[in-house]
Amino acid sequence: MMTFELDEIFVEETSRASVLAHRVIEALSTRVPIRFVADARAATLADRDAADPFGKGKRRMVIMRRRGAFLMGCPAASARYACCGYLVLALASNCPMDCSYCFLQDYLADNPAFQVYSNYTDVFAELERLAGGSRERQFRVGTGEFADSLAFDSVTGLAREFVEFFAAHRNLTLELKTKTDEIDGLLAVEPRGSAMVSWTVSPERVYRSSERRTAPPSARLRAARRVLEAGYRVAFHLDPIIAYPGAEDDYLRLAEEILDTVAPEKISFVSMGSLRMTPALRTTARRRFPNDPMLLGEEILCPDGRYRAFMPLRLRLYRKIAERFSKAGAPVRTYLCMEPASVHRQVFAAPALAPADARERLCCTG
Amino acid sequence: MTTLEAEQAIRALASARQLQDPYLKRWLAREQAERVAILEAARKLRLRTGQLAVALDLLEEIAVREGAGIDSILSRESLQRLIQSEGPAPARASAFLAELRAIRFPRLGATIRRLDKEISALALPSAVNVVLPKDLNSDELVIRISVRSADELDWLMNVLAEKREGLARLVRMLGGDDDL
Repeated sequence: MMTFELDEIFVEETSRASVLAHRVIEALSTRVPIRFVADARAATLADRDAADPFGKGKRRMVIMRRRGAFLMGCPAASARYACCGYLVLALASNCPMDCSYCFLQDYLADNPAFQVYSNYTDVFAELERLAGGSRERQFRVGTGEFADSLAFDSVTGLAREFVEFFAAHRNLTLELKTKTDEIDGLLAVEPRGSAMVSWTVSPERVYRSSERRTAPPSARLRAARRVLEAGYRVAFHLDPIIAYPGAEDDYLRLAEEILDTVAPEKISFVSMGSLRMTPALRTTARRRFPNDPMLLGEEILCPDGRYRAFMPLRLRLYRKIAERFSKAGAPVRTYLCMEPASVHRQVFAAPALAPADARERLCCTG
Repeated sequence: MTTLEAEQAIRALASARQLQDPYLKRWLAREQAERVAILEAARKLRLRTGQLAVALDLLEEIAVREGAGIDSILSRESLQRLIQSEGPAPARASAFLAELRAIRFPRLGATIRRLDKEISALALPSAVNVVLPKDLNSDELVIRISVRSADELDWLMNVLAEKREGLARLVRMLGGDDDL
């Protein structure tokens, strides 16, 4: 089990009686100071005087009501890219782990506190509307975009409730995305095919250099095996793929490790995305992690305004990894994240699917 | 040069060049041997403000990538040749930055050189221009032809047809179908 350190917990008064606040207070009040405040929004803001406002913000948990919608389209979706039709549930914001390449460093720079939303059951009505509105369509909905889906699950217990809710809705697939091995809460629930746990995995060298406080890749794979045996579907995100010298061998070895752990026909999908950084994210990440060589690869400015590995290098890596999964003995669905349709054609020698079709395909269990 | 002398000399140069404060702080934060090596390069190449900032960025990045000290990077023969030679400083400074970029982006540089070589080997007429994407940031190869008559158009289209295999190879290389 992972243990993450918190400096303080803020609970908004309107959330004081919530189930979530009760669980957190019961689990952590002897170890972490808890303060009750009328409006917790100020507690979410960055402490600009701190040496590392983002890092400090992560260590402050804020339990509050979410004022906006929980359900939204993936923030990475764009007409520029061939997207997968992923939908996002914002149950929390920020992550106790600290990967040097993480987009949240820029995305949440102004509000870096680790927010968990006490009114999370409101989302069930949103999901009912989604599921009921188009019963013939499949939707993949993930909780791991703005936070790790499982990092604090032993405290919040949210994953279990969502697995149970999704189990009752045949056209909804829940994706719990994580870099932890925090799966004990999941093992007590019957997922009934509607829940998928996906792991973002990297070669050992990237883990050691860039993925602070995450579970080691081998532990993530062992956890994948265990949830698979418990009836969950599993998927993997090779994202970011970092094109350092020796990366090709390392990523192919990682693909072997994945296939050694989970039989290819049991893998729901593998996504791939190269390291990509806006200029602002790159500046922030390099300032926070000046000695991480993974942030100093041969990335160049691309037409979409993000830094990525130059095209031949990137395409070669994608193609080699995709080839390995295509020769796994059973077809493994693979797709690319935040890449244009032309890159899909280059890698898979086939046109990219429309987002709605990709979504159907990635939800499919067969 | 003592630590104090080095610091005074660096501050004087930074002031003369109006180097931004964050760059000066980073320069002064380096080890003594690194600070002095940068100072020597900046003086001998007469680096301008922008060039000095770019050089500092590149040197720091190379140092992290390679786990090497900046003094050791600057002692490489390819860089020392430019720092110590007698030619005009502006040309040497440009060449120095180009060499730093080549060290910072080794595979990109090698790939561009290989593609350029392929383009040269095609021996295309000057009216046909093959343009690689900037920094190989896309998979799009631009082939531009300039014509002034229908006859010239026919001729160039025939040339392109004859060179089709070589051009297709270029596109495949851009698509990563090559050992990098």
